[in-house]
Amino acid sequence: MTRGTLIYIVQRLAIIVLTLLVVSFVVFVVVHALPGNAFISQRVHGRSLQLLLHEYGLDQPVLIQYWNFLKGAIHGDLGVSLYIRGEQVTPLVLRELSVSCELGGAALIVTIGLGMTFGVLAAIRQNTWVDYLLTTLAVVGYTVPSFVIAGLGIMIFANFLGSVTGGAIAYSPVWTGTYGTIGELWLPALSIGLYTSGQITRITRASMLEVIQQDYIRTARAKGLREWVVTLRHALRNALVPVISILGTTVVGILVGVLVIENIFGIPGLGKEFVESILQHDYNVTVGVFTIFALLIGLSNLAVDLIYTVVDPRIRY
Amino acid sequence: MAIPAGPWLEYEGGTLARQQVGLWRDGLRRLRRNRLALAAVVYLGLLACVCVVSLFWTPYNPNLVGACPTYALPGTPGHPLGCDDLGRDLISRLMVGSQVSLAVGLITAAIVVVLGVSVGLLIGYVRGVVDAAFALVINVFYGVPPLMIAIVLYVLLGPGLINIIIAIAASSWMDMARLVRGQTMSIREREFIEAARAGGARTGKILFGHIFPNALGPIIVQTTYVVPAAILTSAFFSFLGFGVPAPQADWGGMASEGFSPLLAGFDPYILLWPAIALSVTLLAFNFFGDGLRDAFDPRQRR
Repeated sequence: MTRGTLIYIVQRLAIIVLTLLVVSFVVFVVVHALPGNAFISQRVHGRSLQLLLHEYGLDQPVLIQYWNFLKGAIHGDLGVSLYIRGEQVTPLVLRELSVSCELGGAALIVTIGLGMTFGVLAAIRQNTWVDYLLTTLAVVGYTVPSFVIAGLGIMIFANFLGSVTGGAIAYSPVWTGTYGTIGELWLPALSIGLYTSGQITRITRASMLEVIQQDYIRTARAKGLREWVVTLRHALRNALVPVISILGTTVVGILVGVLVIENIFGIPGLGKEFVESILQHDYNVTVGVFTIFALLIGLSNLAVDLIYTVVDPRIRY
Repeated sequence: MAIPAGPWLEYEGGTLARQQVGLWRDGLRRLRRNRLALAAVVYLGLLACVCVVSLFWTPYNPNLVGACPTYALPGTPGHPLGCDDLGRDLISRLMVGSQVSLAVGLITAAIVVVLGVSVGLLIGYVRGVVDAAFALVINVFYGVPPLMIAIVLYVLLGPGLINIIIAIAASSWMDMARLVRGQTMSIREREFIEAARAGGARTGKILFGHIFPNALGPIIVQTTYVVPAAILTSAFFSFLGFGVPAPQADWGGMASEGFSPLLAGFDPYILLWPAIALSVTLLAFNFFGDGLRDAFDPRQRR
């Protein structure tokens, strides 16, 4: 790691911190401007409502509330939940983050695994039925909404296969524990991953096609190397750079997928919490989830940029 | 040997000067050759017809509870697509649902184009502090998924179709602005802009009369991707429970209503029809967009 890289990382971290500040501030102000408050659905009125508002500091001006939030956030304390009164937000959000990371990680594996395999296959079988099938699949993957894929999956694997085999091979579509087993995880992960893998397939295919035509590939073939060695070791390695450049976008796509899919399968992660916290006006949780998402995206983008320099040593910062 | 002049020489002639045609004629000619895009156009035309018809007539009142037996299967006499859990006719609801999708897609795209193009042109032309500020805003904006921003905005604005459109447009105009900014920055350095400026043209005239027409190709292409993206976002909205108010039918909301019967293990059709309608419409817009990209922006062909 050179000095330039270090300076670059520090700069990027500064931008991430700035982003976190702006995002949390805007969301904080907007969420507090929502009509109604967290205690309405709890049937608290009059004097007791005033006392509650005072206890949680909600009767102060928004800017002062934000300042207090910020003072806590610096120490890693995102405040307390207003809906489940007294529940600390930080441990809550971190626990849900681990659940979402399990799902998102599985989706990322699906994305990269399917996307790169399909992309490479489509490229080396260019203009055959394999190519047409895989590219069509990629287009369908990134146009069809993830909840449709989830619905079709439940239809086929839970209902149809379940009734045909008399329940011997049945997929249970509802998450039972905090963390999913592989049996529960694969369909949600696939629903998210098909969307993002479509993009990866397209990029991998295009980039492979470009690389395959180059002279050094012909040289490698002329040396008598086996075709799969040429494809995987020589061509794919150089075709990786554009693929990695869109991994940042992929992460955002997976997070959006997590947001939707968690609400279908009843997965107790950040996406489900985000929707619930908004509906419940649970200010601190909403801001907490937003902050975590922004942090995730910022860090993964930084990671992508750093992987970039490893894959292609010509790129320096 | 006399070589007949004609537009087909464009790909074979090489050095021969091709017949001069304008952007629109050139693009339409290339679009006509793309069968997939043509099929998409035909489908979208049909969809537009269905949407217009549904404004005046549907087989049943789409919001009438008990129009037919609950969970009637497809093929029930008088109800070709069956009925939902409240006994509402699904084909009527499906027809009406197209209104929300098309309205969100097209109006959002219109707002995004107007806003994105104006801001992009201005920032690309003025540069300096404004550009730096814009870059900062974009950096922050790309730090969170646009869907989350749109949801929070929508909850703030309150329920209603107009507010869905505003929320989605506000969270998706920046891509367009960024594209136009980049185009403007490269076009403004060209000689004909210098000539226009030397000729005394005002800034407004240079922006909209000279730079805008030359950036039109990429703008059209980007617009065709804004439409399906907006429809998809609005479907996610309805699906998560932030859609148009209750009795109004829309595809995302219908799909969402279809999930509980599906999870209970019966009647997948309530989910299936809106899912198919939504997917085919999104595919059609994407194919149309790909066709347009190949037609208007051949350099970007993937």
